[in-house]
Amino acid sequence: MESRLCSILLAAALLSGCSWFHRGDKHPQQVVVEDPGAEPTIVEPQVNRRVVKTPKIKATDFELGGYFGAMSIQDFGTNPVYGIRAAYHVTEDFFLEGFLGRSKAGQSSLEETFPAITVLSNSGRHFTYYDLDVGYNVLPGEVFLGRGRAFNTALYVIVGIGDVKFADQDQFALNFGVGTRILITDWLALHLDVRDHVFEDNLFGVDENVHNIEGTVSLTTFF
Amino acid sequence: MRRLLWLILLSQTLYMGIAHAAKRPLLQLVVTAPYLEMHSGPGRGFPVIYVIGRDEIVTVLYSRTDWYKVRAPHGEEGWARRTDLSTTLLADGEPAPIPPYPDFSSHHWELGAGYGVYNRQNLVTAYADYSMTESLDVEGVLQQALGTLDNRVIATIGLRHTFIPEWKWFSPTAGLGGGYQHIVDKVPPAPLENSNEMAYVSLGARGFITRRFMWRADWRHYDVFNHLNVYEDLEEWKVAFAVFF
Repeated sequence: MESRLCSILLAAALLSGCSWFHRGDKHPQQVVVEDPGAEPTIVEPQVNRRVVKTPKIKATDFELGGYFGAMSIQDFGTNPVYGIRAAYHVTEDFFLEGFLGRSKAGQSSLEETFPAITVLSNSGRHFTYYDLDVGYNVLPGEVFLGRGRAFNTALYVIVGIGDVKFADQDQFALNFGVGTRILITDWLALHLDVRDHVFEDNLFGVDENVHNIEGTVSLTTFF
Repeated sequence: MRRLLWLILLSQTLYMGIAHAAKRPLLQLVVTAPYLEMHSGPGRGFPVIYVIGRDEIVTVLYSRTDWYKVRAPHGEEGWARRTDLSTTLLADGEPAPIPPYPDFSSHHWELGAGYGVYNRQNLVTAYADYSMTESLDVEGVLQQALGTLDNRVIATIGLRHTFIPEWKWFSPTAGLGGGYQHIVDKVPPAPLENSNEMAYVSLGARGFITRRFMWRADWRHYDVFNHLNVYEDLEEWKVAFAVFF
């Protein structure tokens, strides 16, 4: 009995001794070996990179507008004229411009003297034209309104070619003129123009160059 | 046309409102030269009315030809020259995005108009041209020939080859294409056909003038396709001034 008790105690002592020797394995110590070539760990931001968009500069080289005025159609009196105009300003000196206009001829002196004679039909009295012109700003400058206001201006000349439809026939026409542009604001301009449309005509039986001079007031917008 | 005129006047009125209402972001630049001159108008003769100092911010409002409407830090406004403004920088130090003049040898678009003679008639011509490569272009032409016997409207489209595009001032060209002419009779007898399809070959030249201006000269030989069983051909020459983009 006594020897059995001794062997149990001895076995318990051995088991506890073994467990004491293995006590270090219960929580093994971690050894971290750092890789010298690896990137250091950094915090990645969760914010997207902002794309900065450079604002574009708006160009205002085009000009569009309408005009009213009076046109002296040779032999047919002075009559109202109206039309539209569009320009592209290439440099500070030169611009390209197109006109599309219309007037209606009155009575010729022959028709006034002899009312029985009709030189033109009703549709033939329409004077419709288009022009393609080159313009040059001859005298740029400023005009002053009182003490506190100044407006930029330019005196310009234009020359070009185009078509005139008169007496129901299209004619090749030369076109030249002079005008002044007054900029009320940077994008709104007032024009005063005098232009001549010259073409060859034989309405009265003789070939002649006819001059048709118009004076107009225009309002245009730059965009 | 009277309706068109009213439409334009109405659109001008609307544009006034839009121009004031539009609040688009504006480009801001830093002056790096000792100073930036502001003129009272977009031209070399207008007097200098204000200067913006180095390291100050200039706001660009819009451009007209080679001039830029700018605003100084304290609100003064004036016009700065393109060459002066191109010396400024963006806030991050990058060069200012002032576009240079389009390069003539690699431009893409041309718009031009000119005078010529077509079948011994005066010719008013306008054209648009797109460069696919430095030497090969597609051109569309709309023109009106005005004569004593008849008037004609001619529309053509074709290809044009520039032989030596690196020759800036004078470079020969050749082209071919097809088109259409419409004849409006002026004096009897009336033409037997009022409209024809046509094909053409052309020889010509082009050259640079200055900035965005260029010139073109062309000679064309047209073969007219008719149903009259006769051979009909026409000749045309013209000179044109154009703007390139």
